[in-house]
Amino acid sequence: MRRAAIWVPLLLALVSPAASATPVNEATPGVDDAEPEAFGADTPLGRLSYRAGRGLRVGKTGLLGGFATVGAEFLGGGERRGGVEELNFLVSFDPVPFLHLFTELEVERLAELERGQKGVRSDPNLEVRRLYLDLQASDALNLRFGEFLTPIGRWNLASREPLLWTTSDPLIVEQIFDQTATGAMLYGSAFPRGGALSYSLYGTFLDPIDPDPAAPPAERGAGAHLEWASVGGWTVGASYFTSELRNGEWNHLGGADLLWQPHRRVEVSGEALFGEGSREDGRLWGLYAQTVVETVRTLYVVGRYERFDPPGVGRAVDLFDLGLAWVPVPYLRLKADYVIADHLDELSSPGLRMSVSILF
Amino acid sequence: MAVIVHLERRTELSIEEVVQIYLRRKRFWDDGTVIVPLNLPSQAPLRARFSELVLNQTETRLADYWNRRYFDGILPPATLASTEAVRRYVASDANAIGYVPASEVDGSVRVVLHLEKDGGSPEEVRAAAGRGGSR
Repeated sequence: MRRAAIWVPLLLALVSPAASATPVNEATPGVDDAEPEAFGADTPLGRLSYRAGRGLRVGKTGLLGGFATVGAEFLGGGERRGGVEELNFLVSFDPVPFLHLFTELEVERLAELERGQKGVRSDPNLEVRRLYLDLQASDALNLRFGEFLTPIGRWNLASREPLLWTTSDPLIVEQIFDQTATGAMLYGSAFPRGGALSYSLYGTFLDPIDPDPAAPPAERGAGAHLEWASVGGWTVGASYFTSELRNGEWNHLGGADLLWQPHRRVEVSGEALFGEGSREDGRLWGLYAQTVVETVRTLYVVGRYERFDPPGVGRAVDLFDLGLAWVPVPYLRLKADYVIADHLDELSSPGLRMSVSILF
Repeated sequence: MAVIVHLERRTELSIEEVVQIYLRRKRFWDDGTVIVPLNLPSQAPLRARFSELVLNQTETRLADYWNRRYFDGILPPATLASTEAVRRYVASDANAIGYVPASEVDGSVRVVLHLEKDGGSPEEVRAAAGRGGSR
C-alpha cells in the first residue's frame, strides 16, 4: 500500500491537460543551442530535437535523456573488475508551467567482468531510481511528492558519474544515509541581496519503488536542509535528518557542507556529518575535503581527503584520493583516480579506478 | 547592453536577480507568473559578453552547472536567433526577459538593467550596475 501510494498523484499529472503549444509570435524561442542539433524532425507531438548531452526534446513539454558510465577497478588485494557501471535514463514532462514530472530509470547489472570469472556477466534489470511530481507554486514554495534524492549535504544531490570529479563517492555519502527518500518535500528559495537562500523540509513515509533488499530503508524519517549560495562564489549548507529504523531504533544525523570557488579554475568543497543512534555504540562521524583545479583547459587535477569513524568498529579510516579528469566536451568525462587508505578493512578499498562517462 | 522586459512589467531588477533568472533558480515574477528568460545563440558575441558580465562564469563552469540541472530535467533558457527577435518577443510577452544592445532599445520594451556598452571589466560593470547604473 505504501509503495502503491506513490503512483496516484503521478498518474494524475500525466492525464492533466497539457498546455497549448501555440507560439506567441512568429519567432518562437527554441532549445538552447550550446550543442548543435544532431537530429530534428517535426511530428504530431511537436518538434523532436536531439542535442548531445541535452537529450531529446519532445515538443515544448517533454525531455528524454540519460547517461552512461563504463569503468574499471584495480584494487588492493588483487581485485580486478569492470563493466557498465551506469546506464540511466532521464524522463521529464512539464505539461503546464507549475507541474514537473520526472523519473530516472537505471539498468543495473548490464555487463560486469571480474577477475576469476569466466566471460562477461549480464543480468540486466530496470529499476526506478527516482520518480516524483513537483507542484511549483512560487520560488519560495514548492511541493515534491515521490522518490527523490535525499537532500543531505551537497554530494548526494549530484551523485552520478558524469557530474563527479572522482570515480567513487565519499564514505559519508555512501555509508551513512539512504541516498533517496520516498515521501514528500517542501522546498524553495528566496533571493535577498548577495545570493540565494534555499530550504528543504521533507518526510519519508513510503517504501521505495525498487528497494535494495541488502539495505532496507528506514521505516520513517524527517529532515531539513538549509543553504546559502552567495553571488561571490561560495555556498554553505546545514542538514539534519532523523529516522526510525524498522527494528524501532532511532537515528539522528546532522551535518554541514561547503563549496568555494576562490578562482575561476579552482573549486574547494567539503562536508561533515555526525550521527547518533539509539544503540549503545551508535555514534558515527565523518568528513571529506576536495579540491579541483583546472590546470589547462579541459584537464583537471583532483585531490580529496576523507575520514570516517563508523559505529561499533572502533577505528576510523583515513582515505586520500588523487586523480585526473579530462572533459574534452561538456557531456563527456574521463577520470582516473588512485585511493590510498591508512589501513585495509571492508570500508577502505585502495587502488586505481578509471571511468568514462557520457551524458546523452 | 540592456536587459529588457515588457512595457507592462513594472518590476525593478538587480543584476543579482537577473543572474538568478538566467540560472533558472528564480522562476517566478512577483505576481506569480512564470518568467520566460531568452538567450541569444551560443555563438553570438553578445551572449558571451552577457555570460562574462552578468553571470560572471566561464563557459566551462556554466556547462558544468547546466549538466547538474539537466540531471533534474531542467534545461537552459530558450534562444532566439537575433537581438531583433528577442526585442520583438519581449514586446509581445509580458513574462519574457531578454538582453539586447542598448542601441536597439526602442519604445516597445522597458529597460530594467543598463550595462556598460563598451569595455569595462566585469567587476567594474557589475559594481556600476549594483550602484544604480542600471536606472
